[in-house]
Amino acid sequence: MFVKKLPKIDLKELKREMELNRQQRLEFVRQYADWLKKTPNKVWSKQQAKYLNK
Amino acid sequence: MEFEFKGSRIVFKKELSSLDKLVIKFTKALAKLKVDYVIISGYIAILFGRSRNTEDVDLFIEEMPFEKFKAFWQELGKEGFECLNTSSIEEAYNDYLKENLAVRFAEKGMVQPNFELKFPKTDLNHYSIKNKMVVEINGEMLNTSRMELQIAFKLYLGSDKDIEDAIHLWEMFKGRLNLELFNGFVKRLKVEDKVKLLE
Repeated sequence: MFVKKLPKIDLKELKREMELNRQQRLEFVRQYADWLKKTPNKVWSKQQAKYLNK
Repeated sequence: MEFEFKGSRIVFKKELSSLDKLVIKFTKALAKLKVDYVIISGYIAILFGRSRNTEDVDLFIEEMPFEKFKAFWQELGKEGFECLNTSSIEEAYNDYLKENLAVRFAEKGMVQPNFELKFPKTDLNHYSIKNKMVVEINGEMLNTSRMELQIAFKLYLGSDKDIEDAIHLWEMFKGRLNLELFNGFVKRLKVEDKVKLLE
């Protein structure tokens, strides 16, 4: 059912949330790189190829 | 990840994705006609394990006479690629490449992924092609821009995706970079404030 009344949007809160998400993404890129450095090519590249070949 | 530095070459083995295979196929056509090139795009981060896909692979190719470009165009056609911008070789050469615009090639009938080719224009473009790095992957050669430039330039581009690529390459290569060179690019590209994002 379509709700006519739109929700309140706190733009400051939204901006904080976006920044937090961004920081978490960057942190994950670092974590992933750490994993990659410790993982044999055969293992990570197999996973990567599976993802890219979808 | 295991890789080995042999002079200015990085040598490693991996299970190739369909994107890797396509890039190798495309660059073989360049190598066959002795067209100098350098890959400059996000594909470099993907080649070294970044977990994302891309719709285009950006390259600079050496500025060449029309006849050489024609031979290259025909070789790409034989290998199953076609130009997405135009079906006219003259137009691709005169109205795109010579005007510093990119031409895109993809496998026939496909739009993505595609290869975006430009002639080098700026000093930085010329630097990247002259000072390229060779990556030997499963015995196949690919020319990529130097990591010092690639990381600094990703910081300059500055989108979320570019910053993530920069962090990824920094993490993979930070012990191997020429920091003087890297800092030189950082300074020239005026991205000193973004370097802190790498750590």
